[in-house]
Formats: sequence, structure tokens, C-alpha cells
Amino acid sequence: MISTTSRFTYIARAIAVTFLFPVAFLLLLSISDSWIFPEVLPESLTFERWISLMNGNTDLFSSLILSLGIAFSVATISTFGGFYVSKHLAYHPKRNLWMRLSYFPFVLSPIIYAALLYFYFIRAGLTGNMLGVILGQLLIAFPYSVILFSGFWSKRIQNMEQLVKTLGGSRWQTYRRVFLPMAQGLLLVCFFQTFLISWFEYGLTTLIGVGKVQTLTLKVFQYINEANFYNAALSSSLLVLPPIILLYFNKKYLFKKRW
Amino acid sequence: MVNPLKAEQITKSFGNEQVLKYLNLELHKYETLSILGRSGCGKTTLLKILAGLEPPDQGTIWIGDKNMESLSTYQREIVYLYQEALLFPHLNVFENIAFGLRLDKIEEKIITKRTNKMINQLELDGMQDKMPHQLSGGQQQRVSFGRALITDPNVLLLDEPFGSLDADTRTSMQQLFKRIAGEMDITAIFVTHNVKEAILMGDRIAKLDNGNLTMFDSIEAFVRSGENSVQEEIDFWKNISEKQ
Repeated sequence: MISTTSRFTYIARAIAVTFLFPVAFLLLLSISDSWIFPEVLPESLTFERWISLMNGNTDLFSSLILSLGIAFSVATISTFGGFYVSKHLAYHPKRNLWMRLSYFPFVLSPIIYAALLYFYFIRAGLTGNMLGVILGQLLIAFPYSVILFSGFWSKRIQNMEQLVKTLGGSRWQTYRRVFLPMAQGLLLVCFFQTFLISWFEYGLTTLIGVGKVQTLTLKVFQYINEANFYNAALSSSLLVLPPIILLYFNKKYLFKKRW
Repeated sequence: MVNPLKAEQITKSFGNEQVLKYLNLELHKYETLSILGRSGCGKTTLLKILAGLEPPDQGTIWIGDKNMESLSTYQREIVYLYQEALLFPHLNVFENIAFGLRLDKIEEKIITKRTNKMINQLELDGMQDKMPHQLSGGQQQRVSFGRALITDPNVLLLDEPFGSLDADTRTSMQQLFKRIAGEMDITAIFVTHNVKEAILMGDRIAKLDNGNLTMFDSIEAFVRSGENSVQEEIDFWKNISEKQ
């Protein structure tokens, strides 16, 4: 007879396989030389695409670097900026109004919101370049971060801040020794989530980047449209790798029970 | 000798409600002043103003011979303790107590020595590595005391610190505070709504009512004044014992 624990282990493994199969399939497709229906496995394998990518000889490599740069910038700015701003909003007398405004980009849909602001992006010379795309993505990631952190700033935290002040702590010391360590788990979740928001962003990047800012997500769609499945698989593999790596390194914080 | 804390003509209003009315207060060195008052009478507002966490509408506060306006909150060396212990959940007992010393960037050797001494005085030996959630309410309050006292503040402001504790723990904490206050020459303001606690903890008593603060020169003067329920309490216990 199978015990309850073993049953859960089997179910967990089955779920893990279900999630890992598409990744494994993509990796296999990316190293396939020829894989034509109805063959179950590729006829031959080649590492040429990966080697060429590693040597930096392809557009895909520059797209990878560009995507990493954009996603890290968006995640860092929105995480730390959102943390700081959310504190001021949380204790503001018109807190409810500010919080309602934070939901605005999501209620309106990010792409429509960006389209409405497109005129200002053109006037500011922010279309078709990396800075414009970062700012555009921040329109979604930043309010997300503010909303995520708004629950952290309670009356208790405010009292702690006052206590640290009377114990002789400056504002910077309060952040470094109290707020940041206490919000460590939340900060990591926020960084991870905003990184993913940016990493997989398509519509807004297409609109503001006007096709000149070729992120990895845009490359995947481009290869799929061209029916270039092997390169689409290669770029998709690259697309799923950073989130998996981030998840692997953050799992102890993301899933660990905090105080 | 200059008094460590003096407040003159302090007023504070919230909307149309005047919480403090031209209040004067003088605290002598190494004394504990109990401030007695009903819930919501402005005790916490007064303490926050004295700590520099809330600005008064009017009035002057002197810390020693310095006008408080010239000092930032963190430069005043007045520690405000809440009813809740407010321990930092990411730090163990040792680090919670050593917190103020770390802010001052004191040498590690001195931090270890002073913190261990404080742990011993608070009767918390063997608990230095425990996290706040592993402590009882009374133990948390002791750590909170230690964290404040180790910084050697000019004045300690205690806002009903034992309000959330059960009767036994409350009694033992009162005794502990009295002992440590004597040992460390602490100057403190102890706010409470409990007459018995005010008498037990204070060297002098003041009563806050309708925004006015009445100071009594001694505990005896307070008891004699009739501005309290002490006589009623004595009569109550007398009746009980006579019935038995």
C-alpha cells in the first residue's frame, strides 16, 4: 500500500516532469540538425547554433545582453524605487488616492497606457532606444512594486522607525539595519517578479522600441513568424534560462518561512 | 544642577480638539515621574512631543540646557518605549540589545562586554541566541528595556510598557524596572492609567486630565490630594478584610 507521503512525492515528481518537459524539448530542438515529423527524435544533432551564440557572432547574443540589461535595470529601479516610494505613499494622508492611482496602468492595460503616452515618448526622443523601453516597462513594473510593498508599511513598522530614531539611528541606518533586512524576502520576490515582467514583455517593447530594440522575446516571435523553429527553440531556451537560474538561487528565500 | 528635561507652555491640538493645554513639566535627575491619566487623555501625545517624534503647536522643551528645536530626534538621547516590545524580528536577543551601540559604531569588544552585562542584569542569561518569536511577552519587554538602557539615554520615556502583560509578569517587570532604575541611575517618565502602578513606579506623580497636567511634589501629596481613587481602593480592601 502506498503511503500518503509517497503519493505526494509521486504527484510532485509528475508535476515537475510536466514543467521540465517543455524546457527539455526546447533544448533538444535547439541542438537538432534535422527533426522532421513524424520522427520521434531528431535525426542528427549539432551544437553549431550554441557555439556561434557563445562566440557572440549572432544577433541573438546582442539581444540576450540587451534583454539582460533592460530586465536588470527595470527590476533594480522598480524594486528599490518602489520600496522607497511605497513608504511615503503608505504614510501619506491621501494614501488611498495614491494607491488607487498605482492600479491605473493595470486597469487600463499596459499596452493601451503606453499607446496613450506614446506622443510624449516621441517628443522626448525616447522611442526606438533602450532608455525609452526601460522607462516604458517601468510604467508597469514600478506601480506593481509599489502595490506589492504597500502591505509592508504598517503602523508597527512606523513605530519601529520612530523607536530607531530615538535610539540614535539616522534615516540611512534605519533602512540598512531594519527596513531592508526585514523586507529581504519581499524585496527578492519583487526583484524576481519585476525582472520577469520586463524579461517577457512584448507589446509595450514593440510599441516604444519601434522594432529597433530587439529584445529576446521579440526575437522569439520573429523566428516563429519566419518558421525558423531551430532558432526559435534556441532563443526560447535562452528566454527560460535566466528565470530558472534566478528561481534556483532565490528558492531558499522565496519559499523559506520568514519570521 | 540642570534638570535633564523641562517643558514649558506645551500645547497641541488635533483638529478642533485641544489635547494639551499650556502644559509645564520638569523632570529631576535620576527620578521616575509617573504620569497618570485615562486612555486617550493625551499621554502618548505628550511623550511623543518630548521625544521629538511629534511637534508641539506651541511651547519650548529643554534637554539639559539645550533647546530641543536645535536637535534632531536621534541627537536628543531620549528613548521612547512603546507598550509593544517592538523587537527587530531578524535579530536575536544579543543583537537586539546591542542595536543602539552598533548605531554608534562602538568597538566590537566593548559591544560584547556591555551587551553581556546587560543580558545578565536583565536575567536573560542563556537566551542571547534566541529570536524574538521564541520569547515570552515578559522576556520580550526585558529585551526592549535592555535595548533602550544600553544606550545610556538622558531620559527614558515609557508608554504603558506593561499594559499588555499578565498580572504576575507585570509585577515581576515592575520590580525589575525599579531595581535597574536604581542601579543605573535612570531618569524616566512612566505613563500609565493604573493608579497602583503609578504609585509603585514613580518617585513623583503627575496627573493628566483634560489637557492639563497637575504635578504633585510627592506620592503622599498625591494620595492626600483626593485627585485619585486611592482612598476608594483602601476602603474596598478594608471592607473585604472586615467581612472575612
